Amino acid sequence: MGADVFEIGVNFVKLILVFLMMVQVVPLLVWVERRGSAYIQNRLGPNRVGPLGLMQLLADAVKFLTKEEFVPGRGYPFIYYAAPVVAMIPAALAFASLPLSVPVNVEAFEMLGRTWGPYIFKFQGYEIGIGIVFVLGVSSLAAYALLLAGYGSSNKYALYGALRASAQTISYELAMGLSIVGVILLFNTFSFAEIVTAQSAPLNFMFLGNKVEIAWLPNWGIFYQPLGAVILFAAMFAEANRLPFDLPEAEGELVAGYHTEYAGFKFNMFFIGEYGHMLVASGLMVIFFFGGYTFYPFFTPESVAGWFAGMSATKASLLTALVLHAVMLAKIVLFLWIFIWVRWTLPRFRYDQLMDLGWRTMLPWALANTILTAIVILIMRHPWGA
Amino acid sequence: MVTTEALLDIGLVHWIALSGIIFSFGMIAVLMRKNVIVMMMGIELMLNAVNLSFIAFAKESGTLNGHVMVFFVMTIAAAEAGVGLALAVAIYKKFHEVNIRFFEHLRG
Amino acid sequence: MLAEAIAFYTLAFFLVFFAYRVITVPNPLHSALYLVLMMIGLAAAFFNLGAQFIAGVQLIVYAGAVMVLFVMVLMLFDLRSELRAFSRGLVSGALKVMSAALLAGIALGAANSSVAILQPPADGAVSADVTKQLGVLLYTKYLFAFEILGVLLLVVAVGVVAVSRMKGGTHGHH
Repeated sequence: MGADVFEIGVNFVKLILVFLMMVQVVPLLVWVERRGSAYIQNRLGPNRVGPLGLMQLLADAVKFLTKEEFVPGRGYPFIYYAAPVVAMIPAALAFASLPLSVPVNVEAFEMLGRTWGPYIFKFQGYEIGIGIVFVLGVSSLAAYALLLAGYGSSNKYALYGALRASAQTISYELAMGLSIVGVILLFNTFSFAEIVTAQSAPLNFMFLGNKVEIAWLPNWGIFYQPLGAVILFAAMFAEANRLPFDLPEAEGELVAGYHTEYAGFKFNMFFIGEYGHMLVASGLMVIFFFGGYTFYPFFTPESVAGWFAGMSATKASLLTALVLHAVMLAKIVLFLWIFIWVRWTLPRFRYDQLMDLGWRTMLPWALANTILTAIVILIMRHPWGA
Repeated sequence: MVTTEALLDIGLVHWIALSGIIFSFGMIAVLMRKNVIVMMMGIELMLNAVNLSFIAFAKESGTLNGHVMVFFVMTIAAAEAGVGLALAVAIYKKFHEVNIRFFEHLRG
Repeated sequence: MLAEAIAFYTLAFFLVFFAYRVITVPNPLHSALYLVLMMIGLAAAFFNLGAQFIAGVQLIVYAGAVMVLFVMVLMLFDLRSELRAFSRGLVSGALKVMSAALLAGIALGAANSSVAILQPPADGAVSADVTKQLGVLLYTKYLFAFEILGVLLLVVAVGVVAVSRMKGGTHGHH
């Protein structure tokens, strides 16, 4: 094992950093959401506090923190307080298990009179061998936050919102899980890192036992699994309770749904959970279908490492990881913008339409995609000539 | 008799003991609770305890047959929960109560 | 060894505590929530025992779907705390608890005495690629059981729809 103080310390700091990353992205996203919606709707948006209205975030934070503490009289106080905390946990756990860049190799070095290392630090909170199953399992726990909120506030609107939310989450989880199966079959692994590594090469596949390679295209999952990508992305909207699937908090029908009774920082924690889900969804889309932290032919782990060839191994490895991390972040930001874009473009579904889409459209298509992928892979990889 | 070493050297017996305790809790829930849904939760508790013992045995014996069994148990438990809850909802619609003392006699 | 013991006893404490709360809290919904916590703890136990895939499935199937159904149905019923959550009769209650404890004791005794005759694991034992081996096993040795399970699930799905759409029946209308 060889886990010493330095390694444990770095891993601990890493966990905190990943969590802070998720939390700190929220105010920025709120700002982008407001300015972006204003841009889409041809108005100005918040622009009074600070340059471009950026200080609005700070003002909001102050407002959230100084709101009156309020507990509904007939509810269950413990459950009422637990719900916002539960809302943050699944997103944080799932996000921490996504690989955000290549591992950093630290060579043995001298410090405090002894030799440390060598170490390999993964560029993620923690690595679990069955990454995909873990993320699915953890994010399926998100329904409890809404259920607890609806039950704990003892409010009819909140309860309706919670019931809708849990039914919706269960329904769309099926399509989500099935849409990923195609990717798992394709790359033949459950590990995120291996999926990303497979995508950093030029497009190549087996055609009836012969290897075909197209040098000018990256080996991204989207070229093999376009249907899976669309289904996963749509199901992710439902999982994050974003418009057009925000029935649980439809303000025209349910006041504010499950968070009707929440104000101040507790409301803010629900928000962090929702944006955390968006972050995880974007991360999954990027990892499964758009090459993760690589971008063949411009940014592959090998080519970027070549830029820093003259430096010491530790420094080169760290810089490579940072460059690839920036690539990953750029892709994630693109998807986050699509999330916001869709929210301000599409109207909300009716509830029966929502269930119809989940069970009678997305589930059969996802099933068909899985079966078709399995058959095609079987035929293509079969050694016909041999 | 029970030494500190035996307590600290975690092996099959520890996991089976844990599984047995959880199983007996599930059994008590089925025997003593009056609410049908809580009784079903007791059944789930027992199934989970059995799963735990399967996994512990699988680790001890170094084969994966226990994992496969757990897989099957989980599927059947999910099916059982679906049927049980559907029945509970049907009963609730009729009696507005899910306490077994309301339908322990076979009168309409 | 010590780290393993700490992990086991922490897990065991939480599992037993949550299981105990499931059967003692009067409000059925709180029972269900404690059961959810128990199942998440059990997933951690599976993980500890090297069954990562089963732990993930436990989270997805049990904690994420079955228990959500339980909680949803209980929320629909809107039951406040039950006044008489337990069956009557001190003697019969004591007998029931004793029989359950006896069962646990027998299970423990059987396990304790059978450890000696358990065959030691084959060398190499369960490798890192547990998931792959599990898949191979499911689709070779247990293929028939797997297919039968599919049929069972189909039957159950149809049955549940039939039960939930049921009107009337032998009990007449109230």
